[in-house]
Amino acid sequence: MPYEDAHLSDQELLLAADGELAPRSARRVNAHLAHCWACRARMAGMETSIADLVRLHRRSLDAPLPPASSSRALLKARLSELAAAPLAPAPQRPRWQGWFGNIGHGPRIAGIAMALAALMFLVSYDRTSPEARAVPATRLTPGATRRVALKDLCSGQYSKNSQVIPVVQRQVFARYGLENVEPGAYEVDYLITPALGGADDIRNLWPQPYSSTIWNAAVKDELEDRLHTMVCSGDLDLASAQRDIARDWIGAYKKYFHTDRPVSSYPAKP
Amino acid sequence: MDSTLSALLRAAAQADRLSKASPLEEEVVRLFDQFRDRLLRYALSFGLSMEDGEEIVQEVFLALFQHLQRGKPRQNLGGWVFRVTHNLALKQREQSRRNPQIALGPYEAGLPVDPGPGPEDQLAGSEREERLQKALRALPEQDQRCLYLRAEGLRYREIADALGMSLGSVSMSLGRSLARLGRADGR
Repeated sequence: MPYEDAHLSDQELLLAADGELAPRSARRVNAHLAHCWACRARMAGMETSIADLVRLHRRSLDAPLPPASSSRALLKARLSELAAAPLAPAPQRPRWQGWFGNIGHGPRIAGIAMALAALMFLVSYDRTSPEARAVPATRLTPGATRRVALKDLCSGQYSKNSQVIPVVQRQVFARYGLENVEPGAYEVDYLITPALGGADDIRNLWPQPYSSTIWNAAVKDELEDRLHTMVCSGDLDLASAQRDIARDWIGAYKKYFHTDRPVSSYPAKP
Repeated sequence: MDSTLSALLRAAAQADRLSKASPLEEEVVRLFDQFRDRLLRYALSFGLSMEDGEEIVQEVFLALFQHLQRGKPRQNLGGWVFRVTHNLALKQREQSRRNPQIALGPYEAGLPVDPGPGPEDQLAGSEREERLQKALRALPEQDQRCLYLRAEGLRYREIADALGMSLGSVSMSLGRSLARLGRADGR
């Protein structure tokens, strides 16, 4: 029937509804719609399908996501690393030129002041007793937590420490002034382990020595397991566990294991 | 060079980097705040684990930072981040193809069976909804993705870029899918 041929195609209707037609075609389609009930009804049907789809789409977005805070902090750390790296591979300069190049970009008084503070900290950090070296610097690693439901923590989903990615590890070493450490000498560890609601945040990470002290990474792992078990069995509330491990993990170990020395003796790595 | 001085200079550079984020870094973090959930859901719609999804979103914004750092175009950044997410998610899925549990389309899994009726939700719990969901899931993956990205507010050109299709194929796919949803609803 010739009249039928003159109707708009589904595609034209959709393109018109979505504002994707060229102006000339849009004028023609709108003129047709203005006088054609049949096409207007089809257009309305299409809009109903779109509305249905939008509802189903929203429904598909209902599943909860983990909070963005830790991935946001991670992104910021990675961006700052990326921003510090040269854009394109540049010819290697001797290191000292690199350092002076950095300083020469402008007055960096604040940076120097912070560095002096960092330097003083490093000196004192190195002179402290082995026990003190086994704990993080509160200023650099106060600990950070994320919002998480107890049942998720105890479901086993977070029972293992997730691996800290190398770029963040380097960031942590740099914060502690340990840029040229031997691999394997330190574990970049969470102060508050993820299994206890610790966040993937640079403020929750510190380089923990494997050696030099009996209070090493393996011993802290024991404490984390103990606290996780206690929290999940209801013997200890999560906030207390987080607070105790963040304030003084060695003190927490002594408290929860009722001992002054590590229960198992993990030999310090050579 | 004296090691104390070198440590000082190195720490100065580091402290300076840590203390200030550049305006570009801040802009990328703002865009992350705006898009993170949507992109993570899109990545998860490829049947990836939460861990892989989060890592992909990280990569997207690191790539965006470099994109902007190099002075590349800023138009349609929304389309751009979806396109990069799509490509990375696809690549990740190819790598883990051995896993037979992987979903085929964004609407294939994840629609809750009983969402409970809402005031504006005329579909909830009805047979009609079941029919529509079934029709939606029966669509080929590419058609589901076109609908998904359109429902996310992407323009046809952006969908075409994200999915590597022509503009014409996008409109044909959307038209075909809506017609099928309409038929499932008895129109």
